[in-house]
Amino acid sequence: MTWASRGKTAVVGIGTSKISRKAEKPLGLLALDACRAALEDAGVKPEEVDGLVTYPDQPFLGAGNRDGEDLVTVNFLIDHGGLAKDIKWYSQISSGMIPSAFIEGVHALASGTCNYVLVWRAMHLPQGTYGAWRSNRAGGDTQFTAPFGAANPFQWHGLAYQRYMDTYGAKREHMATLVTNSRRNANLNEAAYFYSQPMSFEDYMNARMISDPLSLFDCDIPVEGCIALLLTTGDRATGLKQKPAYIAGFGQQATKRPSLTTYTMDDHMICGGSTTSKIWEMSGLGPKDIGAAQLYDGFSPSTYYWLEAAGFCGRGEAWQFVQDGRIALEGELPVNTFGGSLSEGRLHGMGHLAEAVRQVTGRAGPRQVVDCHASIALDGSPMLRNAGILFTSEP
Amino acid sequence: MPDTSPRPVPAPDPLTQPFWDATAAHRLEIQRCAACGYYNHPPKRLCDQCTSPDLGYAEVSGRGKVYSFTVMRQTSIAGFEDKVPYTTMLVELEEQPQLLLAATVPGAGDGIAINQPVELWWEPIEDGFVLPQFRPIA
Repeated sequence: MTWASRGKTAVVGIGTSKISRKAEKPLGLLALDACRAALEDAGVKPEEVDGLVTYPDQPFLGAGNRDGEDLVTVNFLIDHGGLAKDIKWYSQISSGMIPSAFIEGVHALASGTCNYVLVWRAMHLPQGTYGAWRSNRAGGDTQFTAPFGAANPFQWHGLAYQRYMDTYGAKREHMATLVTNSRRNANLNEAAYFYSQPMSFEDYMNARMISDPLSLFDCDIPVEGCIALLLTTGDRATGLKQKPAYIAGFGQQATKRPSLTTYTMDDHMICGGSTTSKIWEMSGLGPKDIGAAQLYDGFSPSTYYWLEAAGFCGRGEAWQFVQDGRIALEGELPVNTFGGSLSEGRLHGMGHLAEAVRQVTGRAGPRQVVDCHASIALDGSPMLRNAGILFTSEP
Repeated sequence: MPDTSPRPVPAPDPLTQPFWDATAAHRLEIQRCAACGYYNHPPKRLCDQCTSPDLGYAEVSGRGKVYSFTVMRQTSIAGFEDKVPYTTMLVELEEQPQLLLAATVPGAGDGIAINQPVELWWEPIEDGFVLPQFRPIA
């Protein structure tokens, strides 16, 4: 059954802060830069914003929690954003990644609770080693992994990817096509961390190995920065500065998983499919209707898993699907047209949402996909909690 | 942080204490549901399969095969910095599909293959804990 509120809400503004490895100002100011830019982009005044939502979590467990330094909460925006004097609605979620926060904003608008909702994702890059395990006591589920030297997210992804390659016959050279395609797209994206650095097939194949079969270039690049989107109702959306990107459907992962520390080769189909089947049902659209797909790539194999879970290709076929120019800007299904987290930077899926908006509104500049009327953004590992949004050019 | 930082040792709680008591006596016991027979690992308050709270521990064979493996070329895990490269394996026990345990093998994974049979051995570590470890059988 198609969703009753399909096309009744839209994104009308995009704002991006500087994305860097070493920010010149605190995260809170980067978030304000992004939010103000989104408002200017739409031609909406800060005091018109009466709804706020974010997913503020730190980049990894154990990072700091100072508001405006390590993360940026709703309170920070209320205190410093110069927004409506009395915000009508806000929400701050801790599960389901940034699209789940976005979905809350859609609900608030569709129910008539407020008029303009700002959604942002601010990512801090702490000093020191990313995600280091420093404790000599391992409690909870980690007591069965950390004493064995297994405590880095890239290990779980390396294990799953090894099994995938072994089961379906994929090799590293197949992944080179996907990773270098993302870099080519980032070279057309001025905001991307790797904007001015190309990557060849040889560069990828010679990359330092991290957790075989994952190499350095299979891991996204941690950055500091913020992207903000301004949402409003369909009737307000048409009178503003930019063409609206309408929300046609969304989905969240909601299946049972046996474990949160070990991924199996069933999890991505079950957990990813839980999200995408809802998106297809709500929107009345399917994989064939998508002009560009923004598929989460915190680790490169996640993009394979999304291609399969969403039904762009069959199970075990993604490594073949990405070949022959099929996912290039000129191809049948352009993927991660902005460079993805691998090459734009690790904004935890917010970059994927912003790019889907750009593609359906014709705002992607030199990387614009021709006749792109629908773009899907799927965020998070398809094996874990994840969520996604489908945008269209028409209501 | 010096390279000699101690490796993490388990911090048992009432749910996991029986697992570590058993390994200290060189027995591998996994939490098992009394209602449906499903093995839960890591242990849970409610059975993953049937939601029963009636959960105990049952000894398993220790036989299994390599579900997957990854070669750690760099790590930021305390106590393991100077052990790279080492290989993290997931072992699938024969008692149940996708009943997976982590294990550590020194070196870069030479000769390890998915679905290869493994054997159990016991590794004593700090504070009297004994880790159930696995190695591939040639």
